[in-house]
Amino acid sequence: MELDVRDVHLHFGGIRALNGVSFTVRGPELIGLIGPNGAGKTTLTNVISGVYKPSKGAVYLNGERISGLPPYHIARRGIGRTFQVTRAFRRMTVLENMLVPAMALHPAGRRQEFVERAHEILRFLTMDHLALEYARSLSGGQQKLLELGRLLMLDPDVIILDEPFAGVHPKLRETIWEFITTVHQQGKAFIIISHDMETIFTLSQRLLVLNFGQLIADGPPEQVKEDPAVIEAYLGKEDE
Amino acid sequence: MVDINLSFLLRLIADGLLIGFIYALMAMGLTLIFSVLRVVSFAHGEHYMIGGYAAYYLLEAFTGLHPLLAILLAGTVTFTIGAIFERIFLRPLAEEKVERPGEYAILVTFGLGFFLQYLTLALIGPHPKKTARYFDLPAFELGPITATAATLKLGTIPLSATRLTAAVIAVLLMFVMLYVIHRTWLGRGLRAVSQDKQAAAVVGINPLRMSTLAFGMGTMLAGMSGAALVPAFAWVPAVGAPAAVKSYVIIVLGGMGSIPGAMLGGLIIGVVEALGTGLLPDPNRAFAYRDAYGMLIFALVLLLRPRGLFGRQE
Amino acid sequence: MKHVDWRWVLTGSALALAVSAPFLLSGYPYWLHVAIVAYFYAILASSWSLLAGHAGQFSFAHMAFMAIGAYGSGLMGKYWGTSPLTGIVLSTVLAGLVGLIIGVLCLRLKGAYLALFTIAFSEVLRLTLNAELDITGGPNGLDLPPLLATTSRVPYYYLMLTLLLVSLGFMYWLAGSRFGLFFRSIREDEEAAAAMGVHIVRYKVLAFVITAMIAGLAGGVEAHYIGLITPNILILGQMSIVIAMAVIGGIESLLGAAIGAILIQFSLELLRELGNWRLVAFGLLLMLTLRFARNGLIYPLIERLVLYQARRAVIEGREQKAKQAGEGA
Repeated sequence: MELDVRDVHLHFGGIRALNGVSFTVRGPELIGLIGPNGAGKTTLTNVISGVYKPSKGAVYLNGERISGLPPYHIARRGIGRTFQVTRAFRRMTVLENMLVPAMALHPAGRRQEFVERAHEILRFLTMDHLALEYARSLSGGQQKLLELGRLLMLDPDVIILDEPFAGVHPKLRETIWEFITTVHQQGKAFIIISHDMETIFTLSQRLLVLNFGQLIADGPPEQVKEDPAVIEAYLGKEDE
Repeated sequence: MVDINLSFLLRLIADGLLIGFIYALMAMGLTLIFSVLRVVSFAHGEHYMIGGYAAYYLLEAFTGLHPLLAILLAGTVTFTIGAIFERIFLRPLAEEKVERPGEYAILVTFGLGFFLQYLTLALIGPHPKKTARYFDLPAFELGPITATAATLKLGTIPLSATRLTAAVIAVLLMFVMLYVIHRTWLGRGLRAVSQDKQAAAVVGINPLRMSTLAFGMGTMLAGMSGAALVPAFAWVPAVGAPAAVKSYVIIVLGGMGSIPGAMLGGLIIGVVEALGTGLLPDPNRAFAYRDAYGMLIFALVLLLRPRGLFGRQE
Repeated sequence: MKHVDWRWVLTGSALALAVSAPFLLSGYPYWLHVAIVAYFYAILASSWSLLAGHAGQFSFAHMAFMAIGAYGSGLMGKYWGTSPLTGIVLSTVLAGLVGLIIGVLCLRLKGAYLALFTIAFSEVLRLTLNAELDITGGPNGLDLPPLLATTSRVPYYYLMLTLLLVSLGFMYWLAGSRFGLFFRSIREDEEAAAAMGVHIVRYKVLAFVITAMIAGLAGGVEAHYIGLITPNILILGQMSIVIAMAVIGGIESLLGAAIGAILIQFSLELLRELGNWRLVAFGLLLMLTLRFARNGLIYPLIERLVLYQARRAVIEGREQKAKQAGEGA
């Protein structure tokens, strides 16, 4: 698996949200994507997942250009994502939520197999007993887990998580952490956006730092921590 | 090449422009409602219709009542209906207590329209009502401009006194509304809520009260539009639908929530309808299609530039 | 002890009643007519609930598709000499094609914009039908030959009943299949559905095509039964009746919407002497239902029954297990 982001620019009107971002994800890496507010992190994930088309530059998956494809094609090709705000299908049961990606991906598949797989994943997320509940009756944390479960049903090669730890209590943080490491060991690449420095520095193997729509650092956490440009970006922000 | 009769066309355009002012006033009401409540009222035509009936019955009941006063009172009637409706049915929306708010807003305002329409039909019946001309023009002659009680003639172009009155009233009311919105405490409150509900609440503006007022004022404008136009048309319970559809066209054309957009949109629609009617050779068919031109513009705007001319980007 | 499954008892007796209605109403042909019209509205309301309640597309063009079915068949018969049956089949396809176009045009429109666009489409169609006097007969309407060579209403009754049952069965199958799953995921959150790989364009358009065809089919049959179609069927008031039926029945329930339509059509006829006051009450009921019973008035009853049976099944299962365990010991 190789995800290649090549010189991506994105302009909204006069605003340059992304200004020449390039990086490559090779194999099951665990990448943290950080940067001050408004640096373009969510915008970048929206470009990768096809919500926005880059004004210049392109995204390639395994050598094939995916930027310009609609989001559902990109999802089918193996890029799964969550959103900053949980977006479970509220008036559908947990099980139905889980079936959506599986059935979208395999139109000819047998429903029974998907149901079994869904129960298996729900057990892994310790929410199998909620399978027949409506998603809207779940707590915020449970909805977050449900989104992760949906992602596993989609079975993508690259998983992009937008702020998975934001507003989550410690117990759930552990579950999500465990989810990420376990799934990562199964051979999936992760790109995780987080404001939580401590978590992201410990969790990720590689850090990308965005500032003003540009990648200002790319490397192992220890190295990025010492990077003067990164320190300036963050300290500069604190000075405000 | 179609043979176009120029003076006929000019007459249509003049007519279209005059009616356009009323449509603009109505659309201004919709826009006011939309910018504060984020709701498109699908009962707007019914408020227009009720405003017309209110003026008609007021003038019937109190002979000698000044037409302007009748229009104001008609506006008060629709304001009351709108405010009560908002309080009962839209309050949960403003309090964010409703699931699927978009769907609810469409259906419940649609339901109100349905209810008011049949209520009027049940109370008044389907027979058209007609009100006498509000004001007579003073007869004069000034070069190419001549006037009789019923018509003002600019050269060969006749303007009906009734429509002229309605247009003047509409323009006056629009200026009053602009003054209220931009120069008064109430207007500041409405604008604050339309921009940021939470922030408005923090500075001591009650967003719930502003929602009720905005809806009431929006329906009041629809009612006064109807009251101003009642002498121009045979008034029936279904009279609101075409007018409402036109005001929808206008707010989409002008951009949802934009007051200048609503005003310009109203005039554009008036003129386009006139031109469309004038350019079709068969007059019967041309008249039947008159309302369709607005829709076509509407469809095009929705498909090509859903923001409209002046809409803010959502 | 074996418990009665009330679901089947109710469904069975409703079906028995529906099938035997022509005999029960043999002295009252007018009420048989009311039943036919009620089934026609039931098809419209339930197919609209599939489009709006399931797929989340609040279209006001449903009566327009119905009219395309009706006028399509009538005009094909008038100009091409097609038989009513051929006409109905072709105009059903035509309604589907127009549904395809409207669906594609509506892809980017949401909420109130979609509602406004579909109202505009419906109004333009109505104005055109009114204006093109020479072709459509204008406001006087278009005469259609009868579909069945009979003067009795009974065959039409069974035809419309079959149409209702078949379309309900088809829509239930659809709603339970992955189509229904995708429809609802789009209704809930289009962007999230796309991120889960759902081909949102295809399924949104498909929802329009399918429901337009059902409406067109019902329209064609109804028009040949009545023998006349006028542009008046396209006024917003007519569309609001269908919407009110679906909302009062339960907008997310196909069966709820159908039952709502039948009950409302019958009560409108029963209360005939009240004139327009019926519709006043009906409009008020619509608003109050929306405000205080969002899931409609019929659907919660159905849901309660299904839940009751499900609980019964669980309890019975437990009892049986306990019994087996007792026997085993």
